[in-house]
Amino acid sequence: MTEILPESRIIIHLSVMASIWLTSLVVLPVALLTAITFLRKKKTQQKGQPDWSIPTLDNHADRNSFFHNWNPAAKVASLLLYCFLIVSLKTFACSVTALVISLFAVYFSKLPWLPSLQRLAAMSGFLIMFLLVIPFSSREQPGETLLIFPLLSRFPFHLNGFFLALTIVIKACAIALLMEPMLGTSSLSATLQGFTRIGVPVPIIQMILLTHRYIFVFHQEMVRMQRSMKVRGYTARTDVLTMKTMGNFFGMLFISSYDRTQKVYEAMLCRGYKGIFPTFHTREISGKDLAKGGIWIMIGLVLLLIERLPSAP
Amino acid sequence: MHISDGVLPTTISLAAYAATALGIGLSLKILRQEDLPKIAVVTSSFFVASLIHLPLGPTSVHLLLPGIVGALLGPAAFLSITIGLFLQSILFQFGGLTALGANAMMMGLPALFCGFLFRAIRGTTLLTNTVAGAVAGGLGTLLAATILAGFLYTSGENFFGVAKLALVAHIPVIIIEAAVSAFIISFIFRVKPEMLHSAPRQQHGITGHPSDHCHD
Repeated sequence: MTEILPESRIIIHLSVMASIWLTSLVVLPVALLTAITFLRKKKTQQKGQPDWSIPTLDNHADRNSFFHNWNPAAKVASLLLYCFLIVSLKTFACSVTALVISLFAVYFSKLPWLPSLQRLAAMSGFLIMFLLVIPFSSREQPGETLLIFPLLSRFPFHLNGFFLALTIVIKACAIALLMEPMLGTSSLSATLQGFTRIGVPVPIIQMILLTHRYIFVFHQEMVRMQRSMKVRGYTARTDVLTMKTMGNFFGMLFISSYDRTQKVYEAMLCRGYKGIFPTFHTREISGKDLAKGGIWIMIGLVLLLIERLPSAP
Repeated sequence: MHISDGVLPTTISLAAYAATALGIGLSLKILRQEDLPKIAVVTSSFFVASLIHLPLGPTSVHLLLPGIVGALLGPAAFLSITIGLFLQSILFQFGGLTALGANAMMMGLPALFCGFLFRAIRGTTLLTNTVAGAVAGGLGTLLAATILAGFLYTSGENFFGVAKLALVAHIPVIIIEAAVSAFIISFIFRVKPEMLHSAPRQQHGITGHPSDHCHD
């Protein structure tokens, strides 16, 4: 049933069936994505153990593709700039174009799809909140379409708000999909070295490398501690005992890392550490690398211009 | 909760980036060069701790830890948190590279504040330390949630609903974070109290006994 009010808003009252259809249109893709990710993950993990494994970024850095053959510094610099251009998009159509471009990027990077899907799943909680809240809480605009769901007549569903939220989600997905081609196609140290070329201080990059290395060490330590807790009959619940146990657990984890810092540092000094890790794979940026970067920045600029320039009458 | 790519207007994410760069620059100036590797190693343990989920009724939450990082690292907390967030966004896509500045402000500023507060109020007994730990832990999360809501508020009127929801959703996390932080500080106070005094450096100065632990 449609009624047109004097303020020229369009209000559509939905039947129960129609609202179920509309809701499932939004929920289904997200649910499917989450299901796929979890199912794929389940295969690789032990029964009954929550999966806290840490993905390794550069497992497939030795392949051969558009992204693999690109100098990491040029790649990181131009794709980051491209990401910022994508963030600045405001229209639905341009964001969808960016998403399609990112999908092609993943395809041409010859990387497996699972890590990219996992990235999308990692954001889903935050983004679903946008999809669910913004349409019901956004500001009223003249001439917009409101959908009234049964039982929710006090909270009209703003179609404008919905498209705003959807645009945000699509932009986020477009950028997240670019991350694997950007970060997974060179070895991590080469990628991080690329960040130094765009102005990130060298000590920071060194710290990131070291932190990344020790994440895996402490992760193993954590798994070992959890195993021994489990053997002693510990199960996590929503109670004070769980919080106390976890407090002690975290305390122990921090203390063991603190104890380790000095040993690690001295071991580094023994091996000739002078405040910098030597790097051996420096590759000069060639004209081809710059051209690739230019293409990406051009694509971003074109998308932005299409949207910002007033359309021809 | 991390801010994803594409949510904040570009001007705000760039401004947050600039502020974060300033914070990192200041941190590098204040901290001693030889402490940086140590801060990096401790950061890994915070990173790992933030992966653990605690059950909360039918769902589960993970700790945000800004208060505890602040209490344990003091002035180094901002640097540590920014590095942790960078790794979280490149490894897991928690947050995102374009929103890294905003996320670093959201977690780093509360950590710095709670670090100073913790040192000011912790006193000398187990009880006062535990209470200070709870305050730092709870307040750290509360401030982080407030900054998150603030970022969403500045992004436009359409985001008010999300900002409110984000604040409300953090209330149970604040309580759990305060409780667990109290237990963490109480444990560390009993087991290794010198860790609460300062960043890793002043306890084992590198000029001390380099031959003591050369077996790792």
